[in-house]
Amino acid sequence: MTGGRVAVLSSAQTELRPAWSGAQHIDLISAVVGAVFKGTGLTLDDVDFIIDSGSDVLDGRSISNCGFLGAMGAHHKEESRVEEDGLWAATYGTAKIAAGGASVGLIIAYSKPSESDVGAFYRSQCEPFYQRPVGFDHDAASGLQAQRYLAQHRLRPDDLAQLVAARWSDAAARGRVSVAAAPTAAQVLASPNAAAPLTRLMLARPVDGAVAVLLGDAEVARRAARTPVWITGTGHAMDTHAFAARQAGTLQACEAAARAAIARAGWRSVRPSLVEVSASSAVTELMVLEAAGLAAPGNALRLCDRDSPVAVNRSGGALPADPIMATGLVRLAEAARQLSHPGDYGLPASQATALAHGAGGVGMQSHCVMTLEV
Amino acid sequence: MSRHVAIVGVGQTHHARRRTDVSQAGLVREAVDRALADAALSIDEIDSIVVASGPVLFAAVNQPEKWVVDAVGARCKPVVRVTSGGGTGLAGALAGYYQIAGGQAERVLVVAYDKLSEGALQYSISTLYDPFWGREFAVGIMGFSAAYWRARMDVLGHTEEAAAMVAVKNRRNAISNPYAHVKQEVTVEQVMQSKPLAWPIKLLDVPPISDGAAAVVLSCEKLAARSTSRPAWIRGMGYFCEADNAASRSMLVSEPLAIAARRVYRSAGITNPRRQFDVVEVQEPYTCFELSYYESLGLCAPGEAAALIKSGATLPDGDIPVNPSGGCAGANPIGAAGLIRLIEAAAQVMGKAAGIQIPNARLALAQSGGGWANLRGVAVVSA
Repeated sequence: MTGGRVAVLSSAQTELRPAWSGAQHIDLISAVVGAVFKGTGLTLDDVDFIIDSGSDVLDGRSISNCGFLGAMGAHHKEESRVEEDGLWAATYGTAKIAAGGASVGLIIAYSKPSESDVGAFYRSQCEPFYQRPVGFDHDAASGLQAQRYLAQHRLRPDDLAQLVAARWSDAAARGRVSVAAAPTAAQVLASPNAAAPLTRLMLARPVDGAVAVLLGDAEVARRAARTPVWITGTGHAMDTHAFAARQAGTLQACEAAARAAIARAGWRSVRPSLVEVSASSAVTELMVLEAAGLAAPGNALRLCDRDSPVAVNRSGGALPADPIMATGLVRLAEAARQLSHPGDYGLPASQATALAHGAGGVGMQSHCVMTLEV
Repeated sequence: MSRHVAIVGVGQTHHARRRTDVSQAGLVREAVDRALADAALSIDEIDSIVVASGPVLFAAVNQPEKWVVDAVGARCKPVVRVTSGGGTGLAGALAGYYQIAGGQAERVLVVAYDKLSEGALQYSISTLYDPFWGREFAVGIMGFSAAYWRARMDVLGHTEEAAAMVAVKNRRNAISNPYAHVKQEVTVEQVMQSKPLAWPIKLLDVPPISDGAAAVVLSCEKLAARSTSRPAWIRGMGYFCEADNAASRSMLVSEPLAIAARRVYRSAGITNPRRQFDVVEVQEPYTCFELSYYESLGLCAPGEAAALIKSGATLPDGDIPVNPSGGCAGANPIGAAGLIRLIEAAAQVMGKAAGIQIPNARLALAQSGGGWANLRGVAVVSA
């Protein structure tokens, strides 16, 4: 990548819960901003800028970043709001440091969908004249994507159930996601129909939570991070708004985003040690893995076996915990932690490279990819 | 900064109170087409797009960048939306600037817009305030702004007459701006006698509500000459904030704006803004804010804004012209307004400001801001 090197210095995350009913947005944000400096020797005074992600619509207030600036520690600092998943905020922060305009940046993303109407959040993204009147929404898009993918590759909903159960069990094991009881594959199949052929548990579960990631230039990284995780490539892309006009069975914007990130990283082949991807459903999780070049079309389920050469979503990924607008930044935080502390995730010490992915929009219209190296 | 960035093309719509002939997407397309034509480029030659618009409640489409992407022609390109209240246009340009400076792109299209005829503006702004303690008294943005102006009247002498002179100047300037839609000369007496809305703010202190879009093409140094022999170089840009409940918040001088100006002036080599800048464009939501900005931007010392406007120095033929375009008084599509200020500043140093050109303008300042007057940015551009 052109410009100076940029590293993930540290991250902090609240537990991801179906509802943080006893805490306001500012409480969740303060918790991660307070914790993110731990072990770095840095303080808020060292932070040059803040880029944050959140949604006015989910938050129920206009310019919602205004209300949270104090909690974010942004007072009298440079601040910008990216109204997209937090991985885009991290991409912005990366550019700012690479440009030499700053040396330490704080990236924050948060979500409280429990206080909002997630269905309306997505429906209000739909085109007002032709899409909304017919009731098209995010779940419908996920269902259509799943029908197409399963038919194309001769798979059945049963094939997805094991994947979903594994994700919930991983999420429960790592302790960063509130899981009352991880469902079995049979329970995944038996959960109510949500968007045929997908059951409710095959869709990502919206959760509340906040995440903060501290980025720094090479000089700061040498001092402040025990194991700096270098951001070596970034890429993002947006597909057409018209769902019917997108290429069915693939995620072309995800392909473009991954291609750009991997080219910037200078990787000759796509063989990261581990990946953390976002997904709206069990099927789009597979489609993301394929679009990123990790598996041939229809073969991504194999990456989810325990003996897969790539560790996929050891955190559990987005299916058990989707803090909308923060999901991709959680993936970055998780991927960086897995690279710097592989033992905590049952991974061998040889982890060298990772790919983190975020998405946004109805039917995952937008995708963002980052390559990481230690 | 490791890489220089230039504005190589600009475009804006002919703003209007209500554009019923186009959707938001159509409005965006108009500005994009004009900016690309000005830069002699096609969308294929653009690496990345930044969309900036006001709060989504203003126009009732959530994440509207995902809708307008097709009107921009940006399918499968990087598109991201930056939002920062009324200053979002400049915040968007800042994001595009760093994409190039940080090596993520060679050329970036920044498009900013608002279609305010499609939403309930003051209602939307009211939801800015804290739902538990803020919404009862700080309805909309006007009452809050009036209270702080009242304080500045006492401490800094920002009189109603001084603010009325801002209205007279900007409204007269707007008459020569082909993109403005409010073109009516007013007198100080008319402003003073206009209907009080939230005293001391009166009807003619207030800008219109508009539909409009604006776009710029940013380029790395290497490719700038492909578009123009006379780009506007970005010498510095920053966007700072003030936390909402800070006990030390004075609002007499805008602290985030003063900080932004100080930082950007340092990187741009500005030591005497009044003498060095040839022209200034500020985003004045009400006339009283322009007076405050004179002081926060260092065009005069605190308490001297009334004397500055009275002296005529900020008229188009003065030594420090402010808003020769007419500023927000001529057109106010809020989400685009910050980018329009940058465009007007850039057009001046590119020598293409036509009927509102300040002769020999080589160094220009643009200011923008939003939120509850707590998000503030500036940019310095030069020939």
